[in-house]
Amino acid sequence: MKVLELVDDSAEYCGRLLAGLGLDVIKLEPPEGALSRRRGPFVDGTDDSLHFRHYNVGKGSVVVRTDDDIRRQCEDADVLIHTLRKSEADGRGLEPERLLGVNPALVVCAITPFGQSGPWAEYLADDLVLMALGGSMAACGYGPADPPLACYGDQAWHTTNTYAAIAILAALWWRDTPTEAPATENRGQFIDVSGHECSASMTEWHVMTYLCTGQPMPRFAHGTLVATDGRHVCALTPDFLGPHVFRNLVAILAADGVAGPLSEPDFADPAYRAGHYGEVYRALKRLAERHDADELYRLGQSAGLPWGVVRAPEEVLDDPHLRARGHFVEIDGMTHVGAPFLAERDPFRLTRGAPRIGQDG
Amino acid sequence: MQEMALEGVRVLDFTRLGFGPQATLILGCLGAEVIRVESSRHPDGVRVIPPLIPAAGEKGEGFGGASLAAAAAAGSFNRGGTFYKYNTGGKKSITIDARHPEGLALLKRLVAVSDVVTESFAAGTLARWGLGYDVLKSVRPDVIYVSMCGFGHAGPDASHVTMGPTAQALTGLTALVGLPGRPPAGWSFSYLDHVGGYLGAVAVLHALRYRRRTGEGQHVDVTQLEPATVLAGPLLLDYLVNGRSTRRPGFPPGNRRLHPAGAPQGAYRCQGEDQWVVISCSSDAHWEGLVKALGQPAWADELAAPDVRMARLDALDGWVEEWTLQQDKYEAMHHLQAHGVPAGAVQDAADRLERDPQLAARGHFTRLRSTEVGELPLEGVPVRMSATPPHTGGRIRRGPPDLGEDTEAVLGDLLGVSGAEVAGLRDRGVLT
Repeated sequence: MKVLELVDDSAEYCGRLLAGLGLDVIKLEPPEGALSRRRGPFVDGTDDSLHFRHYNVGKGSVVVRTDDDIRRQCEDADVLIHTLRKSEADGRGLEPERLLGVNPALVVCAITPFGQSGPWAEYLADDLVLMALGGSMAACGYGPADPPLACYGDQAWHTTNTYAAIAILAALWWRDTPTEAPATENRGQFIDVSGHECSASMTEWHVMTYLCTGQPMPRFAHGTLVATDGRHVCALTPDFLGPHVFRNLVAILAADGVAGPLSEPDFADPAYRAGHYGEVYRALKRLAERHDADELYRLGQSAGLPWGVVRAPEEVLDDPHLRARGHFVEIDGMTHVGAPFLAERDPFRLTRGAPRIGQDG
Repeated sequence: MQEMALEGVRVLDFTRLGFGPQATLILGCLGAEVIRVESSRHPDGVRVIPPLIPAAGEKGEGFGGASLAAAAAAGSFNRGGTFYKYNTGGKKSITIDARHPEGLALLKRLVAVSDVVTESFAAGTLARWGLGYDVLKSVRPDVIYVSMCGFGHAGPDASHVTMGPTAQALTGLTALVGLPGRPPAGWSFSYLDHVGGYLGAVAVLHALRYRRRTGEGQHVDVTQLEPATVLAGPLLLDYLVNGRSTRRPGFPPGNRRLHPAGAPQGAYRCQGEDQWVVISCSSDAHWEGLVKALGQPAWADELAAPDVRMARLDALDGWVEEWTLQQDKYEAMHHLQAHGVPAGAVQDAADRLERDPQLAARGHFTRLRSTEVGELPLEGVPVRMSATPPHTGGRIRRGPPDLGEDTEAVLGDLLGVSGAEVAGLRDRGVLT
């Protein structure tokens, strides 16, 4: 399977994912190289982009000088991913009708901020703007006195790119399904992915909750406990997982002698608890004052509670479980994040480092 | 009706809560037949989380705690769970008690006619019911079994449990939401329920394609952690290669971005209560557009050079906010966009549903009927495909299923179980 990507720095994650799944992903780059080669962070003191390396491991690279070059590349490709808005694609003769004319089995996927249609189709957006319009920011932050906050690191684009990969895999599945008519060689199609729509689809129950209550979700910080080493721990006690949650919580609190009123029979009733949540919180705080973050995490998990240390991103590199699963891989002298899941057969595998400009012809 | 991409693929779906059902929502929207296996004795927790869907003439309730008592009070498993409703469009629901020998036998017969089995229980749960992967394979040799649980089925901490916020904490995503010098604000919702689910869907598609090439099924072990580590990838490399930790003063930098850094960049207050617009300028062209849009303010003259803007970020933010405070958030967005400046209103759910012409024009929300509660505006796969358009109601063009509403039809259509036999199974407590 040959996948071409003609993309800016918003849409390289899709190809990374497809490369790991065994598709042959080739970057189509201008002679000066893709935009993301000039995006930081860099290897200190050099112009070697770590951003580029992360999002382009597993891919090849071919230089294209003209739009004719691009159309020629499409002749024997299975997929073309691009980041051209409709006006740009039309202006360059890279509109889906023309590309499917060149190769009727081609799957063309456009990844743009707002999609190919609608009143905002020509608007500009980076990840921050998409996080604002999509709804994540309105619900994240410390509260009304502080601004809405977006998570660092292109999260709206990640969701958008993952949906693009899903749609591409589904389109290939359908194209290659044995059929009478139209024949598989004519079953290419055009996939139109909007960052705005994808970003708007990642806020769980927020739309439903608004419909039921008439109130949008307020903006609040995710509550955590502070352990003795000053690190934070996410210590959820969700009743809807079952009655064992509170029972096990009381058991670990009692073992530490800090259960307080929670061991009283009244607290066994979820409705009573809901009305006295302050006591539950105070008991959790007493527990946190006796353990460092890793102990607290393991203590909660030993009781079947969904607890976790609030880690710095780089601290996942030391996670013994992920290491045992072979999650981190060495490629081209660097450690990279590997498989997003463990498949018994044809596992996710990144086999080459990020490409040099034009290394594949 | 146009063809759908996954037409003909059948998924027997044991997933619960948020993460697994996100995966099967995607498969259903792409045309797979998704059959949720449920039980009123052990209902999916998210079916009963308040707020309940208000009945006609009723006022909605506030967001609060959750318990089976809420479902009992409502007398239904179908009005609860706004959490449930958001990711079950287009699915069927059957109720079969897997702990009953006859129930187990029926489930095995369903496995035999399914391409994919999905589940999101703790590792080992399905095996205890007598539906471990070896059993699935014995009744369907090429079955694709995709498990989706917090830490997965392999590894030293496989017994650990997660919800979205747990996984977000452990993978560093909680720490990446916050203002400098403050504790992490984190996400107030489960971003990783979505991300984990997306990768669950990718796993199914990957295994289907492999099966077509080789005839072989497999087990794919999906966790809630592994799909997330990639999301902070450049920061991991910055640490590994340059030794630069994210536990450094000033990080995370709120809404500012370091690569590329920009100015101004952030959320700015607008007219009205708690209304904001995001502006993100990362090039000279953006800056020049902003200066024009704001009417060539005097303070802009000395900020023409990018490094000067970066050095005076706080002052610049103050000046920009003086302007935005006089603007409606949408008017500010459109005015800035008209001048080539990336900008967007901070929208909540009400804004997206009622005031976003782009989502409306794209048909983002699909109004679909759910049997007991009526029509709901739902989201599905937010992607447009020309030949095989996804649909939030799946092949059946229907909203979230009521508990067990498809039991009789599914058993009849797929296994040839007659109405009289179904009645007998109900009497014996098999279909509950």
